Amino acid sequence: MFYRTSGQFKTTYESDQALFPIKQDMVLLVVILAVMYVIFPMFASEFTYKALLVPVLIYSLASLGLNILTGYAGQLSLGTAGFMGVGAYACYKITTIFPEVNIIIALFLSGFFSAAVGVAFGLPSLRIKGFYLAIATLASQFFLVWLFEKWAWLYNYNSSGAIEVRTMDIFGLVVTGPNASPMVQYYFVLGIVSVVTLAVINLTRGRYGRTWKAVRDMDIAAELVGINLMRAKLSAFAVSSYIVGIAGALMVFFWKGAAEPNLFDIPMSFQIVFIAIIGGLGSVMGNFLGAILILALPVVLSLLPELLGLSIGSATMEHVNVMVVGSLIIMFLIVEPHGLARFWALIREKLIIWPFPH
Amino acid sequence: MKHLSNFGKAVAAGAFAVAMSTAAMAADGLNFPNLTYRTGPFASTGTPIMNGQRDYMLMLNERDGGIGGMPIDYIECETGYNTNKGVECYEKTKGKALVTQPWSTGITLQVMPRTNVDRIPILAPGYGFSPMSDGDTFAWAFNPPVSYWDGAYMILDYIAGGDMSSLKGKKIVLLHLDHPFGKEPIPLLEKLAEIYDFRLVPVPVGLKEMQNQSAQWLQIRRERPDNVVMWGWGAMNAGAITEAVKTRYPMENFIGVWWSGSDADLQNVGAKAKGYKSVSFNAPGNFPVLEDIRKYVVSKGNSKIKSEAEMDTIFYQRGIIFSMILAEAAKTAQDRFGENNINAEQLRWGLENLDITASRLEELGMKDMIPPLKMTCDNHTGHTGAWMLEWNGEEFVQASDLLTPNRELIKPLELEKAADYAKNNAPWPDRGDLACN
Repeated sequence: MFYRTSGQFKTTYESDQALFPIKQDMVLLVVILAVMYVIFPMFASEFTYKALLVPVLIYSLASLGLNILTGYAGQLSLGTAGFMGVGAYACYKITTIFPEVNIIIALFLSGFFSAAVGVAFGLPSLRIKGFYLAIATLASQFFLVWLFEKWAWLYNYNSSGAIEVRTMDIFGLVVTGPNASPMVQYYFVLGIVSVVTLAVINLTRGRYGRTWKAVRDMDIAAELVGINLMRAKLSAFAVSSYIVGIAGALMVFFWKGAAEPNLFDIPMSFQIVFIAIIGGLGSVMGNFLGAILILALPVVLSLLPELLGLSIGSATMEHVNVMVVGSLIIMFLIVEPHGLARFWALIREKLIIWPFPH
Repeated sequence: MKHLSNFGKAVAAGAFAVAMSTAAMAADGLNFPNLTYRTGPFASTGTPIMNGQRDYMLMLNERDGGIGGMPIDYIECETGYNTNKGVECYEKTKGKALVTQPWSTGITLQVMPRTNVDRIPILAPGYGFSPMSDGDTFAWAFNPPVSYWDGAYMILDYIAGGDMSSLKGKKIVLLHLDHPFGKEPIPLLEKLAEIYDFRLVPVPVGLKEMQNQSAQWLQIRRERPDNVVMWGWGAMNAGAITEAVKTRYPMENFIGVWWSGSDADLQNVGAKAKGYKSVSFNAPGNFPVLEDIRKYVVSKGNSKIKSEAEMDTIFYQRGIIFSMILAEAAKTAQDRFGENNINAEQLRWGLENLDITASRLEELGMKDMIPPLKMTCDNHTGHTGAWMLEWNGEEFVQASDLLTPNRELIKPLELEKAADYAKNNAPWPDRGDLACN
């Protein structure tokens, strides 16, 4: 009823290949964008920005990057956090060596560094597959964190050993550092995430996306029909690491404000893999759903007892939280092993034929 | 971002409602949040400290009705030593907070620039980084009673027996966590090695190798150092001590910083670790303040300690001291401004002008528990000095007179690194309109 597709005829190839062939999808997207761009900023407190909205967006972006590699091109990677680190350190070096560079340019440039590192560590994928490749990317994870710690030039020989973010502005509007308003930072992150997401949707629908999917589904068959495996795999590594690198730079510059090397250690890689898997491999929307479940839900849960007037110790609540979120993850994976995105797809299918079951 | 499901929207909408309401719910009183880590990889070392901090505050509430008649609203926000949670907790608590206690170097670094803007003092007792002592640069940050560089100097002073020139030709290994915290003493130790002509061999222990240090101890055996100085935390301490016992390293030459002096780390090896030392600004003992805590908190079942024996540990008592420093600062501010319901800016003044004399310590029932502490505008640490404690096989006992850092030597380095920090975080605000006294 709400999702009735009858009557929406496609008369041209263009309309058939549109980004949103169904009108209702378009409406839904506009509503969501309106909520993100207009409604949220009207009500959100600093806490909401810093603890909920911005981290969810940044992790979604990182997971989106990983999803290109793992979900679309079928190359397992456990090195996401390391590549995020490359992006963050590159952005730090660019903004300290060339202080006059606009942060947006620095951000998009830093992606190229992580893309290069990603391609270098993606080379083994030409020979090894599956779990063996996961181990190779794991090596990159350990190596990169080690490098962030040992190579003092990377953090400008700071006595704290961490990278710190100075105040930067875009045309007079302060966007990084302690004086930046969380709302401005939110808009900045939201803008970048929107642009990259749009680019990724189009990329995965196009020629590259199709070659990646062919390689994922059966690489020998893909090679036989004339797909250059090396180019397909390495381009997936490059695009994936580029996005992941931007996410890393955003994390340090627009959310945390300082980062120690071990921030980019393996727990964060796993967290992003979980977001991608629970959200749904091979989907764009899934990353956002997964990030909401893994990141926002614990924050909301930890606020609940106070809201209900219960007094539960903060540490106890943390234990309860881990249990609740853990069991939710298991539940979702049992109910729908293909992730939350697939869950939504099923609901949508049901809605389209509703109220008649056939 | 094609479709954010209804579920997602519901969650987000719920989050708003919650975020809005928390701000309005805080109770009246002196709001002292603490970003604890009772969970996570470092919980075993964090919990006793947090218990000590909490019990002292609860005791003040029960015994004196708070500070100057204002009840203390002591709040814990659990981070699990996770820097992401640290941001969340800071934002959650900062609305009414008079102070922030971040409890991890990583969280401190993230929060410190924000505290200047939010105008909340940051109290990082016994950790943080050494240049924080420079109050003119870090107007809102405090790390009493001694900094890591003070600690490094005092350990060397003890090794040298008071005559630093006797270090000449010695070989000293620094076994440290390969992490900003562990690398903290290196700049000073390198400088001292140059001045006093001893050889410094840093041996890093990666975060993943904390529990298995056989490679590091093999290296130490090869190096045959005169002394091993340890900058360890959490599981690294127990790992190092067990390994030292296994490789028969002479324990009396093995000295740790104050975070490497937890009773729990040594109890496993017991008598075999006899002679191990740790520098500490709090001396163990049975102090009258403990009786009050027992009477007003523990016997009423309000404490979170597992057994009363925990009250005798160094870390629990250190927690008491940290809360005492905060409470005394609040009292100083109340006396100065003539009002009991102080705000964050007034508490900052209280911390800056804190003067805990020996007679005040006696009044508090903490005579000789820590050295007298006095902070000033250009000294946000106090630099009280510390004692060497020695493990006698069962517990830590005091093994030296008060050691004091050579401030003339350390201070220039602090000023230099503080200026570096301000440059990296430019534009860094200076003291501004904050009055000095």
